[in-house]
Amino acid sequence: MDAMANLNIKSKKENSFDAIVIGSGMSGGWAAKELCEKGLNTLVLERGREVKHVKDYPTTNMMPWELEHRGEILQSVKEENPVVSRCYAYKEDTKHFFVKDTEHPYVQEKPFDWIRGYQTGGKSLLWARQVQRWSDFDFEGPARDGFAVDWPIRYKDLAPWYSHVEKFIGVSGNKDGKPSLPDGEFLPPFELSAGEKYFKEFLKNNYPEREIVVARCAHITGNQDFYAKQGRTLCQNRTLCQRGCPFGGYFSSNSSTLPWAAKTGNLTMHHHAVVHSIIYDDAKGKATGVRVIDAQTKETKEYYADIIFVNASTLNTNLILLNSTSSRFPNGLGNDSGTLGKYVAFHNYRAGISAEYDGLKEYTTEGRRPTSGYFPRFRNLHKQETNFLRGYAAGFSSGRSTYNDHSGIGDELEQSMAKAPEYGPWRMGSHMMGETIPKEESQVSLDPTLKDEWGIPQLKISMDYDANDEAMIKDYLEQMSEMFEAAGFTNIRTRDDKRAPGLDIHEMGGARMGKDPKTSVLNEWNQVHSCPNVYVTDGACMTSTSTQNPSLTYMAFTARAVDHAVKNRG
Amino acid sequence: MMPACDFSEESILQAYQNLNITQSNKVLLSRVTNTIFPGTTLKKAEDLMIQDFVLVMSNDCLSTEQQAGFVKGLKGWDDFSKTTFGKAFSKMDQKEAEEAILKGVAMEGENESEIGHTRQFLNTTKRFALQGYLNSEYFMTEIKPYELVPARFYGSKLIENA
Repeated sequence: MDAMANLNIKSKKENSFDAIVIGSGMSGGWAAKELCEKGLNTLVLERGREVKHVKDYPTTNMMPWELEHRGEILQSVKEENPVVSRCYAYKEDTKHFFVKDTEHPYVQEKPFDWIRGYQTGGKSLLWARQVQRWSDFDFEGPARDGFAVDWPIRYKDLAPWYSHVEKFIGVSGNKDGKPSLPDGEFLPPFELSAGEKYFKEFLKNNYPEREIVVARCAHITGNQDFYAKQGRTLCQNRTLCQRGCPFGGYFSSNSSTLPWAAKTGNLTMHHHAVVHSIIYDDAKGKATGVRVIDAQTKETKEYYADIIFVNASTLNTNLILLNSTSSRFPNGLGNDSGTLGKYVAFHNYRAGISAEYDGLKEYTTEGRRPTSGYFPRFRNLHKQETNFLRGYAAGFSSGRSTYNDHSGIGDELEQSMAKAPEYGPWRMGSHMMGETIPKEESQVSLDPTLKDEWGIPQLKISMDYDANDEAMIKDYLEQMSEMFEAAGFTNIRTRDDKRAPGLDIHEMGGARMGKDPKTSVLNEWNQVHSCPNVYVTDGACMTSTSTQNPSLTYMAFTARAVDHAVKNRG
Repeated sequence: MMPACDFSEESILQAYQNLNITQSNKVLLSRVTNTIFPGTTLKKAEDLMIQDFVLVMSNDCLSTEQQAGFVKGLKGWDDFSKTTFGKAFSKMDQKEAEEAILKGVAMEGENESEIGHTRQFLNTTKRFALQGYLNSEYFMTEIKPYELVPARFYGSKLIENA
C-alpha cells in the first residue's frame, strides 16, 4: 500500500462518525443531545462561528446607557441591510447574532425577508420562546380541508415526545384543558395581567367557544434542582432574552442541549463548516457522508457517517438537499416526487390591533414577563364556517400605561420627569398568527447562475400571500374589533403592515412528510423516502403550518426520529 | 494687534464625520440642550454630556436628508434667532432661550426652507436630548431606577391611593 492510500484511509477514519448533524440550532441541538446520549459518536457541523453560553454574550449584562445608540441600529447598516433591519429583534444589543443581508445574499423572486442566525445555537438564541403544542385539529387539517397532503402521523404519535422535550427544556404554562391546545409538562405559569383576565372573563360570558390563556414559553419557573444539572436556573424576568441569558432561564441549544451532548464525551463540533451537499453512494444505495467547505479557508472536506440528520434551518435544508445531486438523484437528494423545495409556507403575521380600556383603575402590573396572553385558534376549528380555509391564533397582551408629560422644555420638563408617573388607561394589543396553505407554486430553488462566496448556488425564494390569507386578515380584524368593542375597549386601531413573508421567521416545508413517496419527500419517521439514512427534522419537514409557533414540534420530531434511527441501526 | 477671530479656519470635528460641524457649532448645540435641561430640578444637560449624545445619534442614526436639515438648522440658529426674535440665541437668558425654542418648533414653513431646517434641528435635538436623558445612568439609577434583574411579575398589583 502506498503512502497516499494510507493517508486516505487514515483521513477517512478520522473523518468518520456514527452520526452527522448538519446545523446546531433548535433541532440540530436536540439531534446532537439524543444521539450522544444514546452513545453515538456524533459530529455537529455549524456553518457559523462559535458562541459559548454566557462567555460569548457580550451585551448580556449591559445597562441601557451602556449601549452607545441606546439600542438603535446605525442608519448606514439599515440602508445596506434592509431585510434583517426589519426584524423586531435586530437591535444594537443583539446584532452580532444575526446574518446581515450583505454577508449571505439570496434571490427574492418575490419579496421574502429571510432572517438567519449563523452561529452555535443558530436562532435558538434569538427565538420568542413560545411553545404551544399542536393537536389533531392541526395534524388532520390537510386531510379534512383538502390541501397539501395528509400528515403521516397524528397527535398521539408525537405526544410522548412533546413531553420528553418539555421536561428537558423547561416549559412554563397553565393546564387549560383545551383539546385544540393540548396541555404538557408544565412548570408554574406566568400570571395573566388584570387586563388579560378581564378579557378572558368577558369571552367566557360572551363567546364561550373562545378563550385567552397564558402562552406557554420555554422558561424555567420551577424544578430548580433538575435544571441545575444543565447549569441553568430560574428565569429572572429580565426580558433581555435575545442577548443570551446568563441564568440559562430560557432554552437555547447553547445553554442546554449542546453542553449536555458535550458532557457525554461523544460530541465533536466543527464551526465555520458550510455544508455543500450530502454524499450519495450509488453502489451502496445510501448516503455516506457530507461534503463541507471551510468558511474561512475555503478548503473542501468530507465527513462520513451512517446516520445523517439535516437541521440546517428550513430553507437552508432545502438548499442542501437540492444541491445534493448524484446519478441516482439528479434533481436533489430524495427528490423522486419532484416536490422538493415546493409547498413551502409560513405564518401570516400581517395584522394587529390595539385598544385602550378605562376600567381596572386600581390595578397595574409590576416586574416583567417573558411571555404574553395567547388566543388559541377558534375559526373553522370543528367545522368549516367561513369563506377561507383554516384559521389564526393571536397574541394578546395588556398592561397598564403610565405617563409623564415630556412635551415641555426647561424646568417644567425637568419637574415633570422627576415626578412619579401618572396612570393612564390599560392598553390592549394583539397580533395575528395565521395558518397559510402550502402550495406547489410557493417554492425555493437553486439559482442557475448566482453563487455564494463558497461556490454554492444561491437560494431563489418565491412565495406570497394569497386570497385565503387576505380573507383571513379581514376576518381577524373584524372579529377582534367586534370583541374589543363588545368588551368596552376604546380607541380601537387596526393595522395591516403588509410585511413580506419571512418576518414571522416561521417558514416551513419544502421536504414535507407524507404517506406517499410520489407526493412527499419524508416518511412518518422524517426519513427521506428513497434514502432512509438521511433524516430531516427541522422546519423543512412540515406538511402544513398550523398556527402555533413551530420550534417545539421540530424538537419533538427530532427526538422521535433519533429514537427511530438508533433502534433501527444496521 | 490681535488677529481677528477667523471661524472659516475652524476645523471640522472628526468624531461626527457625517455632520461637518465645528467646535462652535457644538457649543451652540450645548446651549440648546442646556436650555432644554437647565439643571434646576434635575441635573443640567451638559453634566450628562447630552450634547455629545445628540451628535452621536444625529451622525449615526439619521438619514442623509435628516442630517442635512439638522446641520443647516444648527448652523443657522444664531442668525435665525437674531433676525426672527431680535436677539442671537447665544445672547439670550434661559427664559428668552426657552421661548425661542418653543416658537421655533411651532413655526410653519416648508421642510426645505430656513424655517423648516430650524424646526428639524430643534425637534431632533429635543428628541435625542430627551432619549439620552431618560436613558442616562444618572436618570436610570437616581431618578427612576432601572432593574436589570426584576425576578418577578405581578399581573394585578393593587395601586395604593388609586
